[in-house]
Amino acid sequence: MYRGREGQWAFYLHRITGVAILLYLLVHVGELTAAMFGAKYSNAILEFFHQPLFQLGLLGVIGAVLYHALNGLRILIMDFTSWGTRVQQQLWYGVLVLFALLYIPTMIKILPEIFGGGGH
Amino acid sequence: MAIKTRNFNEARQQASTNIELIWWVFMRVSGVLLVFLVLGHIYMNNIMISNTSIDYDYVASRFSQPLIKVYDLVMLALAMLHGTNGLRYVIDDYVHHAGWRSFIKFVLYFLVALLIATGTMLLFSFPFNKVGG
Repeated sequence: MYRGREGQWAFYLHRITGVAILLYLLVHVGELTAAMFGAKYSNAILEFFHQPLFQLGLLGVIGAVLYHALNGLRILIMDFTSWGTRVQQQLWYGVLVLFALLYIPTMIKILPEIFGGGGH
Repeated sequence: MAIKTRNFNEARQQASTNIELIWWVFMRVSGVLLVFLVLGHIYMNNIMISNTSIDYDYVASRFSQPLIKVYDLVMLALAMLHGTNGLRYVIDDYVHHAGWRSFIKFVLYFLVALLIATGTMLLFSFPFNKVGG
C-alpha cells in the first residue's frame, strides 16, 4: 500500500471526515423532521439517539467536523496565499495541535455526560 | 472533472467548464462560512447545554426564533450543497463504472433534495398551534 507524506494523510482524513459528516447530516435532518409530527414521536426519536452508543458516535462526528474545519482553513491558505503550499506540512501539524487543544476539553466536557447520565 | 489544484488561477485554467469553476469557488466560500456556522451550532447544542437534555420542547423553542430559522436555513443549504458536491468528487474518483456512477449520484441528489425540502418545511412549521401535544 502506498503511504504518502503528511499532505496525503491530510487529504485522506479530509475525505473520510467529509463523507462521515454528510452521512451524519442526512440522519440528523431526518431525525429532527420528526418534530413536525408532534412531541410524542419527536421525544421518542430524540430519546433513542441519547443512548451512549449514539452519543459516542456524535462525539466522533464533532471531532470529524473540527478536523475538517481546521484542515479546510489550511486548504484556503494554500489556495489563496503565495506561501501556503510551501509550508503545507507545518500547517498540517498546526491543524493537529489546534485540533487537540479544542477537542480534548470537548471530550472532558461531554464524556462524563454520556456515562454519568448528567443530562436529565 | 473535479479541479485538482492549489490556487484560483490554476483552477481557472484547469476548469473543464464554467460550472466546475463555480463549484470550486463555492466550496471555498461555503467552507469558510460553515466553519463559523457549524462550530457555533455545535457549541450551542453540545457545550452550552448537554446534548442528552435535548427534547421536543427545546427543539420547538429554538425553531420558533426568527434568528435561528435564518441561521439554520443558511447552514442547512450550505452544508447540504457543500457535502453533496464533495461526495460527487469522491464518487468520480472511486466509482469507475459509468452506470453505477450515474445511479449513485441520482440517489444522492434525490435524497439531498428531499432533506433540504423537509428541513425547510420543518423550520417554518414552528411555532405550532399545539398540534398533537
